[in-house]
Amino acid sequence: MTLTISLPGRRDERGGRVSPRRAFWRGVGRVLRRKRGRVVGVAILALFAAMATVGPLLYPANLPRDDNALYAAPSLAHPFGTDFEGTDVLALVVTGARYVILTGLATAIITVALGTTLGLLAGLHRGRWDTVLMRITDLQLTIPGLPLLLVLSTVWKFESPLEMGLVLGLLGWGGVARAVRSQTLSLRERGFVEAARGLGLSSTHIVGRELLPSMAPYIAMNVLIAVTGAIYAQVGLFFLGVLPFESNNWGVMLNLAVFGGGALTTPAALPYLLAPLLAILLLTLGIVLVVDAMDEIFNPRLRED
Amino acid sequence: MRLLPARGGTRARTVTRLFAGHLARGLAMIWAVTTVSFVIIRNIPGNPVLGQYETLIQRGMAPDEAQRMTAALYGFMPTGSLWDQYTGYITALLHGDLGQSLSTPGTEVTTLIGAAAQWTVLPVLAGTLLSFLLGVTLGVYAGIKRSGRLGDVLSISGSLLHGVPQYVTGLLMMAIFATLWPIFPAGGPVDVEFVPGFNAGYLASLVHHATLPVLTYALASYGGWVLAMKSSVATVLGDDFILAAELRGMSRGLLFRYVARNAILPLFTILALSLGMLFGGAIFIERIFNYPGLGLLLVNSIGTRDYALMGGTFLVTTIAIIVANIAADLLYAVIDPRVRTGGAA
Amino acid sequence: MTIDLKGYGDDASTATLARAPGVRVRDLTVVYRTPLGELPALGGVSLTIEPGTITGIVGESGSGKSTLALSLLNAVQPPGRIASGSVEIDGLGDVVGLAGEELRRARGRHLGYVFQAAQNSLNPLKTVGKQVLDLGRSHGVADPRALLREARALLERMGLDGGRVLDSHQHQLSGGMRQRVGIMLALVLNAHLVILDEPTTALDMITQSTILRIVREVHQERGLTTLMVTHDIGVAAEVTDHLAVMYGGRVVEHGPTMRVLGAPSHPYTQGLIRAIPRLSGDPSEARALPGRPPTLGTLPVGGCVFRERCPERMAVCETVDPPRVTHGERTVACHAVEQAHDRAETAGYGPHRLDTANHRTGREELT
Repeated sequence: MTLTISLPGRRDERGGRVSPRRAFWRGVGRVLRRKRGRVVGVAILALFAAMATVGPLLYPANLPRDDNALYAAPSLAHPFGTDFEGTDVLALVVTGARYVILTGLATAIITVALGTTLGLLAGLHRGRWDTVLMRITDLQLTIPGLPLLLVLSTVWKFESPLEMGLVLGLLGWGGVARAVRSQTLSLRERGFVEAARGLGLSSTHIVGRELLPSMAPYIAMNVLIAVTGAIYAQVGLFFLGVLPFESNNWGVMLNLAVFGGGALTTPAALPYLLAPLLAILLLTLGIVLVVDAMDEIFNPRLRED
Repeated sequence: MRLLPARGGTRARTVTRLFAGHLARGLAMIWAVTTVSFVIIRNIPGNPVLGQYETLIQRGMAPDEAQRMTAALYGFMPTGSLWDQYTGYITALLHGDLGQSLSTPGTEVTTLIGAAAQWTVLPVLAGTLLSFLLGVTLGVYAGIKRSGRLGDVLSISGSLLHGVPQYVTGLLMMAIFATLWPIFPAGGPVDVEFVPGFNAGYLASLVHHATLPVLTYALASYGGWVLAMKSSVATVLGDDFILAAELRGMSRGLLFRYVARNAILPLFTILALSLGMLFGGAIFIERIFNYPGLGLLLVNSIGTRDYALMGGTFLVTTIAIIVANIAADLLYAVIDPRVRTGGAA
Repeated sequence: MTIDLKGYGDDASTATLARAPGVRVRDLTVVYRTPLGELPALGGVSLTIEPGTITGIVGESGSGKSTLALSLLNAVQPPGRIASGSVEIDGLGDVVGLAGEELRRARGRHLGYVFQAAQNSLNPLKTVGKQVLDLGRSHGVADPRALLREARALLERMGLDGGRVLDSHQHQLSGGMRQRVGIMLALVLNAHLVILDEPTTALDMITQSTILRIVREVHQERGLTTLMVTHDIGVAAEVTDHLAVMYGGRVVEHGPTMRVLGAPSHPYTQGLIRAIPRLSGDPSEARALPGRPPTLGTLPVGGCVFRERCPERMAVCETVDPPRVTHGERTVACHAVEQAHDRAETAGYGPHRLDTANHRTGREELT
């Protein structure tokens, strides 16, 4: 005998029961079709993923310098001009993406793991666990992250993108934990957990088979937001110059352009400044478009058909 | 059917209980933050506090005096058990003693923080007010016209501005309005040729210099207000009481007010969070515009390894944000009758 | 706006009865925009409501009863819209043709709407009194004090401490109190057509019967035309004098409550009554209706909407939508009933009727 507790899956148009997952993908398709811009968002994110994976392979380990073309204006050879050493700015942006996105991924993993576990714990075992965990979350959400990161940078040299991601993840799980907790509570309220317990299903089964699948997209959305925050914080720290410049990345470019190259006083250095800014803007646009689509999938009230 | 809750005494008691709860929570947070700050300073590589103490001893100073001197500099005892150091640190803090600055010798950290605070607080408040008014107004519109083209543009631009980190906004503002089209000064709080005081030239220069930072603050948080207000309006528009009021023939103006007031209420809790976010932004914005506020103070203290100043700035700003959070929560409680009159929502 | 409160009572009811409006709904079609195109929620509903009656509109969820109620205020919510037809209300004309300010002024002043008790129909941030004043301002009431006095008198008439309720916020009121505030807000501008949407759902039994008593009494005293949407036949039996049964976006049967419940003609109404033991008399005889009620998407196109669940289904039901046929006070839309009627006419008998059941105690719900 197979017992399945169906989560709030949708009915499809023909009135049959569809699995939540299939309904979900159908919803994704519909939402993407409704506004073309969202496809662009997905494409942008794919572009950055490609940049991070194959980008550095396209260029030699040490980017060539052209001593005759320092701060060269944009041209065919150098679409975004060159930096103070005559290195192609586009190459810097592409190769710098890996560090930035790797940090983001590391943060994502830690945020998901910590946020989901703690959120589930708080949501499933109400009472003391919940209170303590939510107090910690409150604290974490209240303390401004950036000043804390700055202060931490004096104690801990964030040497690799993974280390950086670890710290950012440890500072950033609060939002996901809170979102997961409130989702768990709302599923609980609808009686799913009690029903499953009543059928003698184990906690692992309830969490793994019933709760997580229905929350996964919601978690994904929050993680995407957390990752964005991590990328910005990390680029920002390098921009402020409080971290040692171990490798090339967008933050280092910004710092050198503004505080070294005088990009804000001499228009000639502007392309060097604008290239990483454009990369960040583009990444943001991609994420905004994707989150907007996700929001509409999971928050039907925002729909206005 | 006389089920109305008792009034008067209960209401006052509810508010008092609420206040006490928030106060306790706030104090607990402040304690946690001071402890974190202690742990960090204690663990700075090379232990600068102990280093200072040893240097003084090597210069031939008596251990007692060296101990006192170091404690005065850092608000932190160089020797003794961890517990003694901790209680010493907390006691100094309770006396409002954050130690002395190393980079500006002979100056109390509190003095430096006091001088910097105005350059952060005023622009942040001005920027917040500006973006709140603009964001909420446009957010109502975006919430009502969700499927219109303008509504889409507002939402997407709001998300973009909200999503982009403040330094990107700040750098772009700087690049456009100070480099390419130099109509605003490139940095600093005021032109040096003016005598500080209440004279037209000085004030005009202040405003001129503050424009770009304030606009950056406003732009950075404007998007958040648009989005929050839009989603709040969408929620309230779906509430039954709005349809009910419409079916009772409520005038458009009053209906709009019903929507706006109910939608704006939850935003007060975000106001507190946004203050925290803006302070994070202040670090970048002050660095970009070379504006001598708390953010720049923090960055510079790290650059010069002025640990007492760093710890003090971090502590003061964090506590300020915690206090602002509690104030916002209480404000919310005062505005919302459901909390105020102690009814279960 | 001042109303002589002492005038409430039987004398006043006969005096004001003349002001109770009649309602004539003609071929009203309401469609909802869905991914599958526009689907009809109301498929050409026609219904005449005599002035001064309390008419119950009963049906399962999805039968279109709430949509019909909202149509009377021309307030069908998007993605729905009134596609065709008219709603004539005495003193207002065709409501479907009203728009903008005209429509807004009609709502509240002429048409009172009472929400389900469980729905929060009050602004949570304002006291009831302030909301009464807002309503007065919206409708250009010259004397706000008199309006407040009227509101308080109405609340007191319904057994509440008027002054105190006017000073309260929604969260301080119980469900039954909220519902009475809702009725007060529907009446305070002196509307004479009142529409109640599931007024007793989610209330406990005692509060339910209090509210029903109030509805009946206020209807009498103020000389109203009242429409009550409910899925609870027992409730309808208790207060209404006329009953309209809806199925699949159509009114299938309409007539005096006693006669519709006592001698249902339409096979659907018969099925409903049979499904309720206390209405059918013998619990062992109670039989649930086979099949499920249609939804917007599963509604049969063309022919009778009930045919798939109908025991008296005939060939003609597949293709021809049964016309409404009125005999005396009763209107039915069914081919089978019509044929039986024709046969009875030619044979010289009247239409068949079932024995009257003990319908006043029934409180069973259709689901």
